Amino acid sequence: MLLKIAWRNIWRNRTRSIVVITAIAIGLLAGVFASAFMQGMMRQKIESVIKLEMSDFQFHRPQFTEEYLPKLFIPNSEAIMAEVEQEPAVAGTSGRLISMGMVGSARRSGAIRIMGIDPAKEAVVTGIDSKVVEGDFFETGKRNPVLISRKVADKYGVELKSKLVLTVQDVEGEIIAGAFRVVGIYESGNGMFDEMNIYVQQDDLRALMHIEAGVHEIAVSLTDHDLAEPLATKYQAAYPDLQVQPWLDLAAGMRFMVEALDVYLYYIVGIILLALLFSILNTMLMAVLERMREIGVLMAVGMSKARIFVMIMLETVMLTMIGGPFGLLLSYGFVTYFGEAGINLGGAAYSDLGFAAIVYPYLDARSYLEVTMMVVVMAVIAAVYPARKALKLIPVEAIRTI
Amino acid sequence: MKNIVVETKALTKTYEGIVPVYAVRGADVTIEDNEFTAIIGPSGSGKTTLLNMIGGLDRPTSGSIKVNGHELTGKTDSELIDFRLKHIGFVFQSYNLIPVLTAKENTEFIMLLQKIPKAQRDARVEQLLREVGLADKMNKRPTELSGGQQQRVAVARALASKPDFVLADEPTANLDSASASNLLDIMARLNQEEGITFIFSTHDQRVIDRARRVITLEDGVIVSDERKG
Repeated sequence: MLLKIAWRNIWRNRTRSIVVITAIAIGLLAGVFASAFMQGMMRQKIESVIKLEMSDFQFHRPQFTEEYLPKLFIPNSEAIMAEVEQEPAVAGTSGRLISMGMVGSARRSGAIRIMGIDPAKEAVVTGIDSKVVEGDFFETGKRNPVLISRKVADKYGVELKSKLVLTVQDVEGEIIAGAFRVVGIYESGNGMFDEMNIYVQQDDLRALMHIEAGVHEIAVSLTDHDLAEPLATKYQAAYPDLQVQPWLDLAAGMRFMVEALDVYLYYIVGIILLALLFSILNTMLMAVLERMREIGVLMAVGMSKARIFVMIMLETVMLTMIGGPFGLLLSYGFVTYFGEAGINLGGAAYSDLGFAAIVYPYLDARSYLEVTMMVVVMAVIAAVYPARKALKLIPVEAIRTI
Repeated sequence: MKNIVVETKALTKTYEGIVPVYAVRGADVTIEDNEFTAIIGPSGSGKTTLLNMIGGLDRPTSGSIKVNGHELTGKTDSELIDFRLKHIGFVFQSYNLIPVLTAKENTEFIMLLQKIPKAQRDARVEQLLREVGLADKMNKRPTELSGGQQQRVAVARALASKPDFVLADEPTANLDSASASNLLDIMARLNQEEGITFIFSTHDQRVIDRARRVITLEDGVIVSDERKG
């Protein structure tokens, strides 16, 4: 009977109930979409960090990532890569010679990170070959080819077939320069990365740096990013002389960013739900105050306070149970649509910060559940005050006369 | 000897303020089984306050109230709610039915609170609504019923829990003459045929004429207590 009364009560003022249901649905949509937007943005950032910059985990000599000294290379890199490739979860490995050098064109010169790669292996690990927008990915067989980004091309005023002079420090600390020819131009979508990195063939850089064998960095790409930390830990134990780090530790601030995102999302959703809470509270309070006499009569004829409390709580829960699924459906539709179409934030500013300019909202099932639970909890909290207000009612005052 | 349903002793209700208001002063009332009693008096004489205290809706400043031997003055709010559910039927001036429930559901509601099995509830609801002449309006909501019909549903609701007595505050005040007369006929019949005890507070001469006992209050004091016949 309580269910019946509560259900019918919510339809006594149809307009008001529809407004509350709509508010719940829109509140849920706002919460879910804000979460999906942030999660999508972060997911893309993580994908970019893993796929393009860091891979899932990397091997270095200790201190290499701080000092970038040419002599800090891993001599037995081939054996390590062969061993790691035996792991079922490993999609590929790529050994890289790295030099923090100078690039010079006819117009200007500047600092750059030069990556000496095995094109076939690098393509598997980073997919950089698919980012080439002009020219090719070391396919023409020309001498001393270099792949640069659009940003570098613009900055140094070069184009395909232009000559660039790369200056590096060799393994003995001597400064050596070499002439390279632009064979390809790439755009990764990550402005910060593009501005810093150019690619040459490993053997060309090896010759310049006078490193006969070995690489400075072994990048490992996995089929499941969640395995990055356990596998890095495993290989760190196997190679105590090397530094084996997962992407979360390699990318400065990424671990903090990922962990902070969850907290940030809770705050955003919390603020949205707080506004919704007051909307529901206001409506339910009105509904209770309007029915003071009726509630007084219910108490007079013997309905216990606990039942009255439950009745009012049920009304709010029912409104939430209607608005919630409606909002979830709406949210799912929005997230799915924009997850495919993307949201163009317009301009390169985000790209320069290392974020994609087009965000594809995404929300995992757990987050849907969390936001839904937060809405339900919020609705129950919103109902408590009006319900308590009803309990404080003195029947004889509420009904005036018996 | 008849069973005493209500017994008040030196019942007093004072509203404190700059000048204390004595709503009821030292009321000694004894109501026995099967009585049909009207409490009358001018506005502000304290009859509603007296009725509220007898019904456990208001607490006296001093004195005692016993209903079927149970002292009400020491009970907590929750105990009073439970007591009202089991022992007292109420008929209100403004009907006060639950607007979202049908006549049948309004009548059944009290029995549901008492956790009476469905078969018993159905049978009693049908019997009560038939007795008040609303067997054909069972599935109507209050808004679909006239004032007189709503008040008859209220009587059925008051009787549903088989209370020790029914308190009716100005039950005919909002009814037209025909509806009031019809309602009084029903209550008088229930009193005579089923022995249900009714206590009214009223201004209505038709109720006073039908009552077998009339208690008159003035300024919170019982000034007369007359039994007819």
